[in-house]
Amino acid sequence: MSGPAAGTIAELAPARRRVAAGWLHGSAALRWGTLITIAVLWEVAARWSGNNGLVAPPTAILRALVTQILPDGQIRAALIVAVVEITAAYAIAVAGGFLIGVAVGWTRLGRNSLFPIVLFFYAIPQVAFLPLFVLGFGIGPAAKIAFGCSHGIFPVIVNTIAGMRNINPQYVSAARCMGISRAGIVRHVIFPHITGSFFAGLRLSMTMTMLGVILAELYVSTAGIGYFTRQFADTFDPAPLFALISVLTAIAIAMNAMVRLAERHWLRWKG
Amino acid sequence: MAAISVRAVSHSFGLPGKQNRIAALKNVSFDVAPGEFVTILGPSGCGKSTLLNMVGGLLSPSEGAVQVDGTPVLQPLPERIAYVFQESTLFPWYTVEENFAILLRCRDVPRSEWRTRTLAALTSVGMQDFAGHYPKQLSVGMRQRINLARGIASDTDILLMDEPFAALDEQSRMVLGEDLSALLGRTGKTILFVTHSLAEAVFLSDRILVLSARPGRVKATVAVNEPHPRPPDFMLTSDFSELRNQCYALLRDEIRLAMAEAVA
Repeated sequence: MSGPAAGTIAELAPARRRVAAGWLHGSAALRWGTLITIAVLWEVAARWSGNNGLVAPPTAILRALVTQILPDGQIRAALIVAVVEITAAYAIAVAGGFLIGVAVGWTRLGRNSLFPIVLFFYAIPQVAFLPLFVLGFGIGPAAKIAFGCSHGIFPVIVNTIAGMRNINPQYVSAARCMGISRAGIVRHVIFPHITGSFFAGLRLSMTMTMLGVILAELYVSTAGIGYFTRQFADTFDPAPLFALISVLTAIAIAMNAMVRLAERHWLRWKG
Repeated sequence: MAAISVRAVSHSFGLPGKQNRIAALKNVSFDVAPGEFVTILGPSGCGKSTLLNMVGGLLSPSEGAVQVDGTPVLQPLPERIAYVFQESTLFPWYTVEENFAILLRCRDVPRSEWRTRTLAALTSVGMQDFAGHYPKQLSVGMRQRINLARGIASDTDILLMDEPFAALDEQSRMVLGEDLSALLGRTGKTILFVTHSLAEAVFLSDRILVLSARPGRVKATVAVNEPHPRPPDFMLTSDFSELRNQCYALLRDEIRLAMAEAVA
């Protein structure tokens, strides 16, 4: 037998180990292979266990996606509403989080006095306040946007502040001596400096925003994806439920890809 | 009227009455005439950079006042003063050309002139081929040359320089010093320069202010009567050695004092 699986790591010569590692990193085939293997195992396991109403096999999910989810105008509309809510919540979270982060992180006083408060709010399981959001913002999209935003904003604030901690003060001094305005300092010194940390926050924020929006959707489930999610779950019909979740996942992946593109653009100076 | 006027400036760091309060400068006064090159020479920690930061408007003195062209300095005055820092303050996230663009925009230079102005400034320090590079892709010496060129491109009457050559090796330092002397002969800027280096001080300055150990006071003033631009051979003359020795004699005790304090 040959190939990387033949021996333990210790038995492999260094050169061969390097070859094996190169193959692993370079191979898109491996990634797809892993995915397909998991899908096949899942299919087998789901069929083996019979239709237990909890887990659907991938083929059934795919069929549900094509025959049940995508053709249904109501579900499509609900998905569009969810995407709009997530996008709005995310935009507010990123813009607001950045501004709050810069305001708090600008001075040591702000960092010392306000940052612990931010961390305190970040640590609270916000779902406990969900009923208050609904009372305050109604059962429409506003409550979902607000709740998504309240989840998504914290990673942005925290990462913005963390990124500002070790800004080289000479860059700020140099900027002031060149006559760069306060807004210009944020734009030309602070933002480029914190990009790494900021974009890590953005990716986390995307996940959190989606979580917030979907939690709110589930809680107020008279319409929208929350309604359908609950309906499929209550009727022990997992295939369309999984299909619906897959669509949301695909949306999340697409949005994260956009964040990544922006990140690559901003971090190109690091080479 | 003096271009820069420093009047009875004292400065301390730390809160009054606290044990860690440090007196950095004590009753410093001097004037710099328009077009004059004045160097502040002194041992480590004597408040040289503090003094420069005050002239640059980055720091307010605890006591006394700083004036530029007769107006008090309360904040950076980008129209009148350019500041070249010890380490290159080219923003690493922008290319050399983008770094110049930010400055030129602040100077209200029309966009159509940015490229020619940038290239002219880079050419003056021999760096015209590196406009598209990121600072990281250049050596420390190249970065500092460009940093210097950017300071000059600010087109201000006054240039403050805080040990601009400190991060360089001695050879690059010499060459850049010669470049600077030649540039100054052409532009006629007023320059306040901070350094540790005796040779640099004598080679470049019209006047050298020797500061004492902390808290810094002006211990003596040494005049260098040699027109700009100065040829490299100036360094080989007996005048040069004499002035250098004179500065060292003034500094020697202060250096020991500063070192003793650093150990204590």
